[in-house]
Amino acid sequence: MLLEISDLSARVAGKEILKGINLNVNAGEVHAIMGPNGSGKSTLAQVLAGREDYEVTRGTVKFDGQDLLTLPAELRARAGLFLGFQYPVEIPGVNNVYLLKAALNAKRKAAGQPEVDAYEFLSLIRQKMKFMQMSESFLTRGVNEGFSGGEKKRNEVLQMLVLEPKLAILDETDSGLDIDALKVVSTGVNSLRDASRGVVLVTHYQRLLDYVVPDHVHVLSGGRIVKSGDRSLAHELERRGYDWVLESRVA
Amino acid sequence: MSTVMQSSAGGSAAARSFEAQWNRRSADPLLPIREQAMETFLKLGLPSLRDETWRYTDLRALAARTFVDAPRRAQGDIHPTASLSLFDAKQRAATVLMVNGHPMLYSDEMLINDMEISSIKEKSTLDPKLIAGFVGAISDADQHRWVLLNTALFEEGLYLKITKHSTTPLVILHVSTGDGGHDVAYPRVIIDARAGSSATIIEHHVAQGEFTPLVNSHTHIALGSGAQLEHYRVFATGTAATHIDTLDIHQERDSECKQFTIALGGGLVRAALEGHLNQPGASLDSYSLLVGHAERHVDCVNIVSHSAHDTKSRQTARGIASDHSRVIFNSKVIVDAGAVHSDSQQSFRGLLLSPTAEMDSRPQLEIHTDEVKCAHGATTGRLDPDMLFYLLSRGLDRDTAQSLLVFAFLADVLTGMSMASARSAIENALISQLPDSQILRKFR
Repeated sequence: MLLEISDLSARVAGKEILKGINLNVNAGEVHAIMGPNGSGKSTLAQVLAGREDYEVTRGTVKFDGQDLLTLPAELRARAGLFLGFQYPVEIPGVNNVYLLKAALNAKRKAAGQPEVDAYEFLSLIRQKMKFMQMSESFLTRGVNEGFSGGEKKRNEVLQMLVLEPKLAILDETDSGLDIDALKVVSTGVNSLRDASRGVVLVTHYQRLLDYVVPDHVHVLSGGRIVKSGDRSLAHELERRGYDWVLESRVA
Repeated sequence: MSTVMQSSAGGSAAARSFEAQWNRRSADPLLPIREQAMETFLKLGLPSLRDETWRYTDLRALAARTFVDAPRRAQGDIHPTASLSLFDAKQRAATVLMVNGHPMLYSDEMLINDMEISSIKEKSTLDPKLIAGFVGAISDADQHRWVLLNTALFEEGLYLKITKHSTTPLVILHVSTGDGGHDVAYPRVIIDARAGSSATIIEHHVAQGEFTPLVNSHTHIALGSGAQLEHYRVFATGTAATHIDTLDIHQERDSECKQFTIALGGGLVRAALEGHLNQPGASLDSYSLLVGHAERHVDCVNIVSHSAHDTKSRQTARGIASDHSRVIFNSKVIVDAGAVHSDSQQSFRGLLLSPTAEMDSRPQLEIHTDEVKCAHGATTGRLDPDMLFYLLSRGLDRDTAQSLLVFAFLADVLTGMSMASARSAIENALISQLPDSQILRKFR
């Protein structure tokens, strides 16, 4: 089991947002977590990545055999967990390529590998950027500085491709993308799919799931997973809306 | 000088010692101006916390001390410690050495990089009217209090005349070196950039030896029509040093001045800047990098006056304060009646890195006309938690992430520097005063 979430509850600023999440992700699987606004999807993603101002009040999370909740954010990343942010922050003055290199070296160091060779690194980045259809000018700019919404999301996927995480949690990576960008981003995510990795897609719409086909779909509402199913559940949600799940649960 | 003055009743110990210095000076062509400056100073005394531009810097301890002239040194004895290498080895740049305010020149009048260089004293015997035009303004404004003292007591000073496009930068290396804890130096510089000329000038303040004099320095920059100047003043003296520096910039039509104030050293650094945009089209772009480290106190005061229409000023200041340091950015833009279409911006951002550090900012605007564009903003805070989490979530360790963010915070000032070599030297010196300097170096 790659990720094993049991009874996870968490609060933000004193307010209980997650109320007992149970979710298992095996290597090789893609899971989609859907749900209405305010259901706790992003909170779940941030809690898994190790955001400190989100307080875990109950439950356990195992990642690749380790107790995830005891690790600070940077060690989670080095252990192979990647969060693609819904709103990637702009950091003027920190160069995009510095960040990529530092992130890759941090991961390599943790794995007992030497730092990446400068030439090798640049050719790797160039190759991945070409794949993500990004212009080389991204290399010299500050992290996400002045990027459009779509560019920021591509940059998140680029980072993911360079870091090759075991588990990628992509928080609304599809939001704000036009159809061409959505295809590029989806191709990026699909290229990472293999038997050793897992992907958790957090999304509001099923549109992305036409391109990155999930093995499992879960509906999160009120801080709990209220329904799980296969990809057909996403289509049903698209047709009947979230109210349908919530009502059927009450009934 | 020969005139013996009446000792001022309210004078502090320091003021009395300055007066004693005055009584030992010999007459020169500037005597009437110096006399008036000394009288005005003794009448007004040292500035105090009640004075508008001194409200953040308490000089009472300094006022209780007494001072004597800092020694003259032979050139062979000068080996400044802690000076930054502002140039690559292969880069051509000329350096004029100024030790405790005394320029070390090979002849009375030199030509370096097409700039005419002499001592102010020498020039004032040849052309007293010219020099009087630069040193003659006696102001009782509190930000000029120490300038009065400098005007009265500076001995030689340095005069620079720029008439052409000077392609290589000129460094004025100010070395402060005392014999004991009671020395004072009065460096004085005049930069006379004539119409259409251009140059880059760096004033680099460093110290040598165990004792650093109290430095009361003044630089007067005059830019003729269309002249362009990039000017740096870099304070890199030791932790015990007290440095009071005042920079006056007077600009004529369409002249452009880019000014960098870099406070990286010293115990108490007071860096005042007065910009006078006297004619239409003049523009002043000022950058301040104020680094509070250990017990350092940095008091930066900028006053920019728009006296003519279509003038432009930009002030970009970034401060960081760690340990027990204190950083102040006190700025004011004055738009005179008639200075329509003036365009000014004041931006200060401060970063507090320790709960015992302190930061004050006070951007002010005084507008006496309509149709102007004036903006100001000041923020002080801690590191942005969203940025920090983003970097941590990519696997960077906390120290590295924090250092990167601190450095990034200062980038607006650093990237404004046209001189790549000066910028990298300043960056290096800066890094060494930031937490986790070892880590940061890997990123340069």
